Amino acid sequence: MNRALSVLIMSAMLCAELPAVATGQPPAVIREVLPNGLVVLVREDAAVGVVAASLLVRSGSAFESAETAGVTNFLQRVMLRGTKRHSALALAEAAEELGGALDASGDVDYAELRGTALARHWEALLTLLAEVATEPTLPPAEIERERTLILGRLQSRADQPFPRAFDAVVADLYGDHPYAWPALGRTESVSRLTREALVERYTVAYRADRMVLAVAGGVPRQRVIATAEKLFKRLPAASAPTAPPTMEAAPRGDRRVLERDARQAQVLVGFLAPPVTHPDYAAMRVLAAVLGGGTSSRMFVELRDRRGLAYSTGAMTSNPPRAGPSIFLPYIGTAPANADAAVAAVLAEVSRLRQERVEVRELARAKAWLLGNLAMDRRTSARHAWYLAFYELVGGGWEWPERFARAVDAVTVGDLTRVADRYLAQPTVVVLRPAERAR
Amino acid sequence: MCRWAPNSMGGKLPFEPRKGRTDEAKVKDACRDRLLGLMVRVAPIGLMLLVLAMSGGCSGVRAVERPGPVAPIPTRHVLANGIPVIIQEHRGSDVVALQLWVRAGARDEASAELGLAHYLEHMLFRGTTSRPGGFMERDVEGVGGRMNAGTSWDYTYYYVTLPARRVVPGLEMLADVAVNATLDADVLEKEKDVVLEEMRLSDDNPRRRLGRQLYTQLFEGHPYGRHIIGTPELVRALTRDTLASFYRRHYVPETFAVVVVGAVDPREVLATAASTFGRLPRRGVTRLPAAPQPPFRPQRQDIPHPGGHAHLGLAWPATRVDHADTPALDLLASILGRSRSSRLVQSLRERDGLVVSVSASLSALEGAGGLMIIAQLPPSNLERAEAEILAQIRRVRDAGVTDAELRRAITAAEAEHEFETETAEGRAVALGRAETIWTLDDELAYVNRIRSVTAAQVRAVARRYLDPERYARLALVPPEAAR
Repeated sequence: MNRALSVLIMSAMLCAELPAVATGQPPAVIREVLPNGLVVLVREDAAVGVVAASLLVRSGSAFESAETAGVTNFLQRVMLRGTKRHSALALAEAAEELGGALDASGDVDYAELRGTALARHWEALLTLLAEVATEPTLPPAEIERERTLILGRLQSRADQPFPRAFDAVVADLYGDHPYAWPALGRTESVSRLTREALVERYTVAYRADRMVLAVAGGVPRQRVIATAEKLFKRLPAASAPTAPPTMEAAPRGDRRVLERDARQAQVLVGFLAPPVTHPDYAAMRVLAAVLGGGTSSRMFVELRDRRGLAYSTGAMTSNPPRAGPSIFLPYIGTAPANADAAVAAVLAEVSRLRQERVEVRELARAKAWLLGNLAMDRRTSARHAWYLAFYELVGGGWEWPERFARAVDAVTVGDLTRVADRYLAQPTVVVLRPAERAR
Repeated sequence: MCRWAPNSMGGKLPFEPRKGRTDEAKVKDACRDRLLGLMVRVAPIGLMLLVLAMSGGCSGVRAVERPGPVAPIPTRHVLANGIPVIIQEHRGSDVVALQLWVRAGARDEASAELGLAHYLEHMLFRGTTSRPGGFMERDVEGVGGRMNAGTSWDYTYYYVTLPARRVVPGLEMLADVAVNATLDADVLEKEKDVVLEEMRLSDDNPRRRLGRQLYTQLFEGHPYGRHIIGTPELVRALTRDTLASFYRRHYVPETFAVVVVGAVDPREVLATAASTFGRLPRRGVTRLPAAPQPPFRPQRQDIPHPGGHAHLGLAWPATRVDHADTPALDLLASILGRSRSSRLVQSLRERDGLVVSVSASLSALEGAGGLMIIAQLPPSNLERAEAEILAQIRRVRDAGVTDAELRRAITAAEAEHEFETETAEGRAVALGRAETIWTLDDELAYVNRIRSVTAAQVRAVARRYLDPERYARLALVPPEAAR
């Protein structure tokens, strides 16, 4: 039964060519609000031998400043390093005994604790997850270990051409808005964050009314709800509301060149785009797909297949989507000698979107590609759990993907011209390439 | 080829896929298959609780069943011209994974042909005699599907994911691409620039570069030591005749296997496979077996690479995929460095703070194998990290592993199988790879073999294969720290 239902949902998502689905069936997902305000979503699929759980918290870079950048992610990572019952190693071993793992991270609009296990161990997995969420000890020695690792990951980003150029264009696009810094934080801030700062973040964020738990896989859904209620009742209910950033994102600067020893130049051309809940959001995603989604997109065909400028090229959009301003980002990796030509070629493709109407055939291909992407991304228990929790907490309700699919279906050629004109006027360009003498 | 086009960003950067978070990660695995090799066979997988049974009726059809709520039963059929077709119903979502596995990879190239298997893979997307370039738009992306490919030493494979009802035209397209590619000379010239970009991209990625060079050290004198992507010189000099000759020689029924997993009717799939792939004439081609592991010569090398961190790789010759010691070595790699609680992570990263990351993997190929340990670290810690890795090797050789470690590693292998089978293409890759470089039966029995490994066997393979005095050692070091 559940199997049939999940197939129905997937097919509704996949593309217009799939057979029409029966309507009026209840979804395979149940949603329950516990007495303390925690929202629990369960997607039961008896045919699956695994379980995944995702606990999302309203937190993240959006609530940070230049001084506290990275505190959300730092806290999440240290929470895995000890509870009242388990040391860091004992936690890892306990999760591995279940055939899975626990993980944690901070993102832009949320923080996440997540776990996977063989389905028969779902109760033990939820118990571990609840323990990490409600009884973390944040041991000082573990904070220092984690600090070293996060600084190492920041170094690793700086060492690699694409992440480095990507972080630069994001910073230039957002200006003083907190989305400007990576969820990992900045080397300067992470070096100085104290245990008190982590405790404060925990106290503010870990409140039932700003959290969502989603569980997907081969689990009995009613028992999951009952177990979650028992495990998470310790969470304090009410929280003092924290306002999301009110600052406007303001691109600072139109073109920047980073010099770095590399064999390939990275060219990124960014624009600010609307938030996930904005009426123009679906049209912007379709526009990105026309320009650079997949191997029949304009950028791929023109820049790679016809001109041989690139191996990898395309147009990215913020992923996960943003509650606030998002990014529309055409990208190409090319030989250093071609970097200027690549910038010009990308800008020419963007101008074309603003000046010429997109062909109906291209529109259809872009929609099918985009919806196919969404459908294929929602096929594992871990992805189901994340989608449910993310859209419930950040993106306007767990059923959002279905609404998004309908919105994509309704996008017209005229919509594309309108949003291209509105959002793609001011490019922010970052080029990373080797210094002249090094070439 | 990995016709890779980014479609998302944020925490999920194109070149840093986060495990289990995006579809990009899967595409990237195929890229690593080709460029790095470490992904070729990191951890074999198999069905749990399986019962082998002969299905009635059609000869040459074998069914593998397992009890429980999960219906899918992989069946193996052999077409009249010898092409194996493996079909599994998988109704997790309304898609079908179609894959063509070709027993031709970088190891089948003569020394003047280096990079041809990979180059050919690129060209197969650029048009056939009846499908002009751009067919992907109509046949694949225009219906919400995906198509890509990967080249390894032992094989090349093409994978398509489509809405399930497109299975028939999908198979027709795949059969067409398999033998009717035009290999247009002008397109071939233009594609050279694309492949040269792919080389640059790979050179700039420290992990790919480390993996590639480590293979070169470990398999010196063997085809596995070559770079799958070839050399810039050979790519620039490539002609259509050379490529067409490779294509005609290697893309024949004798080297093909077809895998179909998804929400499909197996009878319809088999009938379509028979009327498309089944009609290709045999060419009488016999593939040369993979060369055995060459004599190993330990080497140490530092290579300058821009950046603030160093990357260290140690490697030991290990077993080929069908060797009796492979399951125990697989578990040994897991206990050493495949999870948060593993020995190298706990000692080098958690206890001593020497590295930012460390991991161990087993790469068991058709003709040879290697066990690799790689780490990312500040350059000043290189010597101490190497010494500690060797200390851990000695420890496992002397004292073996605990029952708890073994149990967790076995559980991880079981779970990996379960997670992989959540998607049709995950299942299809496991089946296709097994059919190509191993056997389906061995694949399906693998988890059972893993379960029967004892702690004494793990210690024995540590002593047999991990000699702390004889190994390949490579480091990418920031230029200012290079000696």
